[in-house]
Amino acid sequence: MDNEVTEADARLALGSIAQRRQQVIAEIDVPAWYWLGLAGGWVVLGVLADYGPAWATVVGTVAFGAAHAAVAPRVLSGRHGSPHVSVRSDVVSRGVPVFVIGFLIVMTMLTVAFALIAHADGARHSALLASVVVAALVLVGGPRVMDVVRARAERRLSAL
Amino acid sequence: MSTAKFDEIIHPSTRLSIVALLASTDWADFSFVRDRLGLSDSALSKQFSILEDAGYVTIDRLVTNRRRRVRVGLTEAGRQAFEGHVAALQSVIAIAESVAP
Repeated sequence: MDNEVTEADARLALGSIAQRRQQVIAEIDVPAWYWLGLAGGWVVLGVLADYGPAWATVVGTVAFGAAHAAVAPRVLSGRHGSPHVSVRSDVVSRGVPVFVIGFLIVMTMLTVAFALIAHADGARHSALLASVVVAALVLVGGPRVMDVVRARAERRLSAL
Repeated sequence: MSTAKFDEIIHPSTRLSIVALLASTDWADFSFVRDRLGLSDSALSKQFSILEDAGYVTIDRLVTNRRRRVRVGLTEAGRQAFEGHVAALQSVIAIAESVAP
């Protein structure tokens, strides 16, 4: 059979294989509810910080962290963004959780910075204001982070 | 590194597309493969039957939340055959490039 396959046939077949791989890479994602949950939790923590007692903020923060820790191992792999396919682990970079957690750390720092700036500016509800701004950034920026993850996977696999 | 070996079962374009899609997954729903390849249910079922008979795919019929799902995945034999086929395709190109002026 080798003799029947021309160079053009082989290139066409490999092109088709690469196209199918791209279709799977496009499925690398975290579920949409993850970003919604994060943004919602962020705003709730902002509300607690501005309107609740100190202990409620502490309890809320711990609960938020615990809930995130519970779902993160499965969700942050990026392999189960769609319920219709499980992306192989060697297609998804192992650095995805680090990438997402890094994004969340930056968002946390931004929340603190925005709250301090708003407070210094005399805003009455500085924590809530900061949390709403950052929640919006999470909703917009989270999917963009996954765009970067998919582009990295494409580049890495194309180089193999 | 896989041994280069053409696989006549995988080589036809539709089956190559199916196997290539599954090669990057642990499993996929039948509907996912159907939609990505733009095939009808019957056409895809026919190709899956051939691949299943060859021992290249597993087909699991599940019931979740009262809905039937068909989940497909490559077997180890299917994965090895695919990798060998890809290596064979690459060798065709490498040979052609080596003799090109």
